[in-house]
Amino acid sequence: MRAGQEVLPHVAVLRASKPIQDDSVRWSVDPVREIVEEAMHRFDAARTDADAWLAPRLHATLRLTRAEAADAGLWNFLALAVAPDFVLWRHLPLVTADEGAPRKINSARFVGPHYSQAFARLWWSAEMFRDGPDYAPAEIACANQDMINTALRLAAIDHKPTALALVLVLKGLADDGATRLGDRVNALCTAVNVAGSTLMYEVIAPDDPPRHDALTEWIADAGSVVPWERFPEGPDDGTARRSSLDLLSRMFAQFAAEAPLRDRTRSGAAQD
Amino acid sequence: MSAVYAYPTLVGKIEATVRGASIDGKPLQLSLISQRDQVVALHQVERDDWTEGVLELEVSLPVDELADGPWSGVSCVAVLTEGATNTRVVTRLERRRDDTRWRGEVRVRRSTHATRALLDVSVVGSHGGVDGRILGKTDAPWVVDLLARTPARQRDLEIAEEDFRDGPQQWLRPFVDAPWLVDTSGDLPTILLNTSFEGLSALLSGARSPLEKATAGLVAAQVAGEAWATMFQSALSNLEFDEDGTPHLPSGWRGAVLRSMLPEVFPRLPLPDALREAHDRRADGRGWAEVQSRIEFAAGKRSQLPRNLLATIRAVSRSQEGAR
Repeated sequence: MRAGQEVLPHVAVLRASKPIQDDSVRWSVDPVREIVEEAMHRFDAARTDADAWLAPRLHATLRLTRAEAADAGLWNFLALAVAPDFVLWRHLPLVTADEGAPRKINSARFVGPHYSQAFARLWWSAEMFRDGPDYAPAEIACANQDMINTALRLAAIDHKPTALALVLVLKGLADDGATRLGDRVNALCTAVNVAGSTLMYEVIAPDDPPRHDALTEWIADAGSVVPWERFPEGPDDGTARRSSLDLLSRMFAQFAAEAPLRDRTRSGAAQD
Repeated sequence: MSAVYAYPTLVGKIEATVRGASIDGKPLQLSLISQRDQVVALHQVERDDWTEGVLELEVSLPVDELADGPWSGVSCVAVLTEGATNTRVVTRLERRRDDTRWRGEVRVRRSTHATRALLDVSVVGSHGGVDGRILGKTDAPWVVDLLARTPARQRDLEIAEEDFRDGPQQWLRPFVDAPWLVDTSGDLPTILLNTSFEGLSALLSGARSPLEKATAGLVAAQVAGEAWATMFQSALSNLEFDEDGTPHLPSGWRGAVLRSMLPEVFPRLPLPDALREAHDRRADGRGWAEVQSRIEFAAGKRSQLPRNLLATIRAVSRSQEGAR
């Protein structure tokens, strides 16, 4: 199945699935199918580029609380029952290192942790990197595979100004045409994480608690079709404090300038 | 604090206490807050549809040390985290004039937590011109359990990787050739895996082939079996007694281990009798050898040793068939 050559045991998947109690429109799978098919159509020539387009639209389609999104069963269902074709399309390697070996997907893309699973990684990227209703930072983050692969694992990005400052620094590096952007992002993430073990970013750069009522309202308002050509509107649950964002992005820019890059001479660069 | 800091940190203890809690404005029964285990059970059978819990937190800090220390701008914050939902909420605590303790309210939103949130308290201040330095932390977090109906720590044991040969723990040096040790001296029993024992960590964490997986399963079962047996013995040597000599279950994990294993060691006896029997036999040696065997058996069953051994035997025989 991981090579896309076998047919999924569809009946077994559906039987093993647990029905959702609530019959609100937000649990309907058709809108998810729709954006996934559009993504496969639009980005067939450059599949990794689909992430930046899809993440905000998936987030605005599947309106979830974080408690609901913590349920791995939901993501497994999307990958195995609703859109296994997308998982194959997005994550099946185009070439293999070992010529002649069958191409295979890492099974974590179907049933893995939130930073690996094909749908969970997109939803959580949008959730962690959006600035209130504004998905623009999430799009920038998702355009860089190392942000999803590395930054999404960091506990430090649970603090909104920290997550957004990372994106600002990434954007600065990209705008300046920095080389080896992936290595720079990884080095920056390491530096932010290491510094975070002795510094409390929340105290240096305070932020306001999210407005849960706005999130609840946004979730209740599910069912509108997400736009394809412009950003959808995210939940208006509060944007990060600008002063905190400025302070941290200056600090992280400094980290990025000083962080040592990984030595690539000995290990082959792996792109996913 | 266990990490290494490049600046002076607090030595004194930071103690956090949850004094009270409420769910959607209604006070929570005090029986749902366990001071001993540091657990708050935020689940009430009658209402699963709550939106917000509020914990009243009280923190005592090493006041004199802070007053004399080289830090400035000291503040105290509560940090509520849950990995599964990528949630981290930091709340500032306040200290009123003439009060030695810091206090505050920590809000727990139902929609941002799944099962168990951890509540730590950190002291933060400036040192050497750098703001926001973490100066100290509570030793163990409070657990905010969103599913439990009773406030109990359910975790049985910790697993820690240590380098017995070159690591910082001097007392492990004599055990350099042991693949693992079970340490029952602490608040939670801990299995120490020796990282200087070649290949052990790699096998346990990165087994790939069926044969490797079966072997890793067997080793894990072996470790677990030994841990259960050691825990049982350790718990039995830590009993508490009435004035008339009646043994009682000890608190914490020791009580939990005895409660779960005694029915298998003395199958036909009610718990208090089984406890007395175990204690008496151990004390005067009468029939203790037989009890030992039953402890081994109960521990092996808990660690699923028979199943894992069978799987390994089958995997080995299959791989030999393949080689022929």
